[in-house]
Amino acid sequence: MTDVAEGSAAGVDESVVDARGHVPGESSMWFFVIGDLLIFAVYFVGYMYFRSQHQDLFLQSQARLNVDIGAVNTVMLLTSSLFVASGTAAARAGNSANALRAWAIAFAFGAAFPLLKLFEWIPEISAGLTPGKNLFFMYYFVMTGMHLCHVALGLVIMCFVIRNLKTSAQPKISLVETGATYWHMVDVLWLVLFALLYLMR
Amino acid sequence: MNTRGQRILLWTAPPAVALFVLAYFAFPVFSPPLSPTLTPDQVAAFFRGNVTGILGVSILCNLIACSLVPLFAVTAVQMSRSATSSPVFTYAYIICVGVGTTAFILADYCWGMAAFRPDRDPQLTSLLNDMAWFFFVAPVGTIMVQNLCFALSVYLDQRPDPIFPRWVAHFNVATVAFLAPGAFSILYKSGPLAWNGPLSFTLRLTTFAVYITVMFWALLRAVNHQGDERVALA
Amino acid sequence: MSGGVATVPRSGSEPAKSWRTNRKLDQWIAFWSVPFFFNLFGLVFVPLSWMMPPRSPSSPTPRIVDFMHSHNLLIACVILTLAYGLAPVSNACYLMQVKRMSVSPAFRYSMMVGAMTGAIVGMLFPMFCFGLGAFRPGYSTAVLTMLYDFGYLAFIGSLGCFCVMWMAFGLAIILDENNILPKWLGYYTIWQYVTELMAAPVWIVKSGPFAWNGLMTFWFAMILYVSWQFIVYFCIFKAIKNQPESEFA
Repeated sequence: MTDVAEGSAAGVDESVVDARGHVPGESSMWFFVIGDLLIFAVYFVGYMYFRSQHQDLFLQSQARLNVDIGAVNTVMLLTSSLFVASGTAAARAGNSANALRAWAIAFAFGAAFPLLKLFEWIPEISAGLTPGKNLFFMYYFVMTGMHLCHVALGLVIMCFVIRNLKTSAQPKISLVETGATYWHMVDVLWLVLFALLYLMR
Repeated sequence: MNTRGQRILLWTAPPAVALFVLAYFAFPVFSPPLSPTLTPDQVAAFFRGNVTGILGVSILCNLIACSLVPLFAVTAVQMSRSATSSPVFTYAYIICVGVGTTAFILADYCWGMAAFRPDRDPQLTSLLNDMAWFFFVAPVGTIMVQNLCFALSVYLDQRPDPIFPRWVAHFNVATVAFLAPGAFSILYKSGPLAWNGPLSFTLRLTTFAVYITVMFWALLRAVNHQGDERVALA
Repeated sequence: MSGGVATVPRSGSEPAKSWRTNRKLDQWIAFWSVPFFFNLFGLVFVPLSWMMPPRSPSSPTPRIVDFMHSHNLLIACVILTLAYGLAPVSNACYLMQVKRMSVSPAFRYSMMVGAMTGAIVGMLFPMFCFGLGAFRPGYSTAVLTMLYDFGYLAFIGSLGCFCVMWMAFGLAIILDENNILPKWLGYYTIWQYVTELMAAPVWIVKSGPFAWNGLMTFWFAMILYVSWQFIVYFCIFKAIKNQPESEFA
C-alpha cells in the first residue's frame, strides 16, 4: 500500500516498510490521506457518471482546456515528489544537509504549480469559460480548485519540514515522513485528475 | 484593584440604557407599535411620513447597538469565576449574546432601509418592516438560553462564598418565562401575542428593562466582592 | 468520584439535591442538550415543514409559492426561534474541550466568533426568510422567489463562518499536546472545512449535481457532515467521562 502510493508517484521504487513493519509518519496522517482519496474518488465517480450522460458536451468542453500547462504541471509535481522522496531518504540516513537541499528544491518545483495554474485559469475565465458555463467546467474548476487548496496546504507543510531540517541537529523523522506522505498523495490525485479531465477521450 | 476594568465597563451600562430609553420613546414605529394588520400601502405611507424620526432612531441604534455588550462581558467574567468543572456555560453565554445583538442590529437595518427609500414598491417596504419586526421581537431563543446558562452556573456554583445570591438565578429563570411569548408573534397578526401585543411587545420590553437593571446591581455587588481574586481565562 | 451520566432534561428547573454529587454536572447538562436540540432541529426541518431535503432552485414558480405560503413554515419558525439558543450550547461543548488543550486561546476565540456569525447568517436569518412569505400571503411571486432563494442560499451556502470554526477546531486538535481528542478527529474536522469548499458552487448553478439540492454539494456533503457530528459528540462524551477531577479541583 505504501509502495503504491509513494513508489508510483515518485517513479522510484522505494521500499518503505522495513523489516519491523514501521509505518512512516503519523498514522493519523494516513487516516487523512485515505479519507481524502475516498472523497476525491466520489468526485471521480460522479464525473464519470455525468460524462457518460453528456458525452458530447464533455468532449467539446474538454477540447478547450490547456493541455500543455496541464502536462507541465504534471512534470512539476512528479519532479517535486522525486526530490521529496530523496530528501526523506537522506533525512532517515541522518544527512540533514542533503535532506534540506532536496526538500528545498522540491518546494521550488511545488511552488511552480499554483503559478502555472494562474496562467491556465485566468485566460480561461477571461474567455468566458467559468464554472457556471456547463457541468464539465463546474467539475473541472471544483476538482482542480480543491486540489489546488491541497497543494497550498502541502507547500505550507513543506515549509515546516524545511524549517525543522534547518534548525534542528536531528531531523524529526515523523514530521518529514508525514509531510512526504501528504505530498505524494497530492501528486497521485493530480495524476488521476490530469488523466480524467485533460487526457481521457 | 484589578476589578477596575470591570467596574468601568459596568458603569457604561447606565448611559447606554438612557440612550436606549430615549431611542424607544423617539421611535415613530413604536408610538404606538405598528400593527401587523396594516396593508403594504399603509405601511409605505407610514414610512414616507416619518422618514426623519425613523432614520434618526435607526442611526442612533446602529451606534448604540452593542453598548450593552460590556455588561454582558462582565457577566461572563463573573460566571467564569464560579466553581463548575468547566466554562461551558460561559462560552454558551458569550455566543448567545453575540447572536442576540446581531439580530437586533438586523432589525435596525431593516427599518433604516425602509425609511431610506420611502418611494420603494410598497410590497418591499412592507417586507422590510415585517422582517424588522421579526428580528426585533421574535429571536428570544438566545436570550432565554443565555439566562438559563447563567442561572445554571449559579445553581452549580460550589464555592463556599457564591458569586451571586440564589435569587439572581431564580430571577433569570423567571425572565425566560416572560420572554418566551415573543417567539409566537410570528403566528398572529392581532391579539396579545402579535408583535404589537401586550405579551410579545410590552411584557418583553419591560422584562428586558427590569432584567438589565437587576443584573447591573447584582454585577456591581459581585465585582466589588471579588477582591484580589484573579479570574481564570475562559 | 462518580463517572455517572446525568440525564437532566434541558429545562430551567433547579436540579434536585441528589444530582449535586456529580462534579461534572454542568458539562453533562450542556452535552445532553445537544441530541435534544439536533433531534428537534431534524423534526422541524423535515417532517414538519419539509424544508429539508432542500427543494430545487429550479422548482416551477407555483410550487415555490405554495411552499412559501405553507402554515407549517410559521410553526417551524416559532419552534426554532425558541430553541435555537441551544446551538450556542452545542458549540460551547466543542469550546470546553478546546480549553483543555495545550493550544493558544486564540483557537477558541476564533471558534466563538465563527459560532456567533454562523448562528445568525446560517440559521436565524434564513429561518425568517421562509417565515415571511407565510406570515403575509399577499407578496408577489418575485418577492417570494427572492425569499426562497435567500433562505436556501443562506442555509446551505453559508461557508466562511464554519470554515473558520472547523479550521480552528481541527488545528487545535492536531496541535494539542494533551491529547484531549484523538488526532484522527482533527483530520476529520479538516474535512468539515472541505465540505464548505464543496458547497461553494451552490451560489452558481440552479440545477444538476452542484445546485443547492445537488448530489455533490448537498447529499455528499451531508454524508460527511452528519457522520462527523455523530463522531465528534461521541468523542466529546468520552473526553468528558475520562476527564480526571484533578483537572478542575
